[in-house]
Amino acid sequence: MRRKRMINNAVKNGLLALYAIFALFPLFWMVLISFKSDAQMFNTTFIFDPTLENYEAVLLRTDYFKYFFDSVIVSVIAVLVSVLAGVPAAYALARYNFKKKEDLAFTILSFRFAPEILVVLPLFMIYQKIGLYDTYFGLIWVYQLITMPLLIWVIRGYFEDISVEIEHAAMVDGYTWWQVFLKRLLPLIKPGLVSASLLAFIFAWNNFTFPLMLSGTKVETITVASLKYIASDTVHYGQMAVAATVSALPAVIFALCIQKHLVRGLSFGAVKG
Amino acid sequence: MAKIELLNITKRFGKFTALDNVNLEIKDNEFFVLFGPAGAGKTTLLNTVAGLVMPEEGLVKFNGEIMNKVDPSHRNVAMVFENYALYPNLTVYENIASPLRSPLYKKDDATIDKEVHRVAKILRIDHLVERLPSQLSNGQKQRVAIGRALVRNPNVFLMDEPIAHLDAKLRHHMRSELKEMQSSFNSTVIYVTHDFLEAVSLGDRIAIINEGKIVQVGTREEVYYTPCNEFVATLVGEPEINLVDGRLVVDNGKYYVEVMQKGYLMPLPENSGIIKKLVDSGITEYHLGFRPNNVKYTFQKQDGLLRGTVYSFESIGNKAVLIAKIGDQFLRMIAPNDLQVKLDQDVYVELPISKATFFNAQTTQFIGTSDEAAIYRLVQEQLSKGVQ
Repeated sequence: MRRKRMINNAVKNGLLALYAIFALFPLFWMVLISFKSDAQMFNTTFIFDPTLENYEAVLLRTDYFKYFFDSVIVSVIAVLVSVLAGVPAAYALARYNFKKKEDLAFTILSFRFAPEILVVLPLFMIYQKIGLYDTYFGLIWVYQLITMPLLIWVIRGYFEDISVEIEHAAMVDGYTWWQVFLKRLLPLIKPGLVSASLLAFIFAWNNFTFPLMLSGTKVETITVASLKYIASDTVHYGQMAVAATVSALPAVIFALCIQKHLVRGLSFGAVKG
Repeated sequence: MAKIELLNITKRFGKFTALDNVNLEIKDNEFFVLFGPAGAGKTTLLNTVAGLVMPEEGLVKFNGEIMNKVDPSHRNVAMVFENYALYPNLTVYENIASPLRSPLYKKDDATIDKEVHRVAKILRIDHLVERLPSQLSNGQKQRVAIGRALVRNPNVFLMDEPIAHLDAKLRHHMRSELKEMQSSFNSTVIYVTHDFLEAVSLGDRIAIINEGKIVQVGTREEVYYTPCNEFVATLVGEPEINLVDGRLVVDNGKYYVEVMQKGYLMPLPENSGIIKKLVDSGITEYHLGFRPNNVKYTFQKQDGLLRGTVYSFESIGNKAVLIAKIGDQFLRMIAPNDLQVKLDQDVYVELPISKATFFNAQTTQFIGTSDEAAIYRLVQEQLSKGVQ
């Protein structure tokens, strides 16, 4: 019996280790080449002379931080707008009955269905015409397609789990509707709100197609800017790796911080027990 | 404390009419019970008083003041919800303290602490105050929900089946506790229940509601002795009243009703007003109601009694219900618990015509009762109330 269990565990751990290598290797490889000089890029694998040259070149000699903050501004504000508009929308979808409610909910979700590359061409023409091209507002606006549906669908489920009597009880207790919302409902939807917002942030941060087509010079996100390291003569893989590594950091850090809550927040309801 | 008036309240949910032209007046300091079957509109009526439901038609008045446009928080009502509606993220203590922390009814921390512990003690949950609702049993949750109402001093307490999920012993305790609380605080209470015992033991007056309509409003004696129709008669009383078909027969100037089987005539009491009422009703087909506790039975063969067989015998605590089958009809009666009885054995039943309640067989409306003593008692009671 004991022997069997040991073998069992060994197999399990072996498979998990295999998966970990599979999942982490691209990241590891990216970090690895970010320390390689262009000269050693193709003729070395694990043994090379590590250098910070690429970091210096990218972080100090280009506008890297400008791109980085462009990404921050666009993603953070996009998520904030989604929260401000999405939470009331989710509440309405959960609580009120109106005509075509489910159709509307589905339409919102369907924003996530269309391939971005398909949507982006007409959007490009429209943005050019109405002056949204290459603006923060334009990108934040189009990012709602990514962030809003996710938020509305997660939060709607949370609101549906909260019995309407809890709201009634709070009203009878002497709270106005806004106080009921802030003091009684918000704490209950918080796990969903936090995890959905962070996931939405990561999606927005990683988006490439929209900023590639809808912005260019004044506003440039980190994902698009990373392409700059393909020079006319050569591709600076080391510098590109630096750009990618640094830009992946916020997402990785956030994901690690809320790892536990992320899964629970997205899968559990608001009211347990 | 307040007098509550509901005038012509109609509430629809889509095509479904939940409340249909309801008129009620609940007196100041009254313990008023709304009693009816499931889905009758009891909770909707309560929500209308609380302001959680907007009626399409009609007025809600507190002390003569129209409250239709006043939101629930400003009506100063305390409500116990049937599904408890506790805040899952707050402890029992904070749940009970919630109304006293709200901007409208704010109290200082010392008062809150005192009040919370006072009601927790009454409700026997003082050892649970640090727990979260998810760590409580349903009965405990229900008591927390009651506690959240009891910390307040509102215009009216609205209670939606507040003790339905407690165990029998605790329910009994809570029943007397609620009654005690109501009389000592001089509070108006509107209490929803589908339990007959709760309704009669707690209510100063009882409103019987069915399919969104108020069927009858009265004291427990009124709804028990003079139910306005068969629906009320069957709803009030446990075990249920026996209803049998009857026909008026006049023979040599004497009045009889023929019940159960052909030729079984029971003479109507000569000097009671019931004969006149039956004649005045202009019909001859009735339904006669006999309370199970009035129906007599014997196992000795006796002439003049209805012969039947024992259909079932079931103990309900300190007494038992014996059901006799006579022809194709069933009669319920109260028997002592230790009665030795075999199924299908012969039983002889006497229907107490002097305690019968008569209903119109077509409309099921109340015609009268031959139990004059009951009427007399009622009149006395009304008079003594009027004098007060």
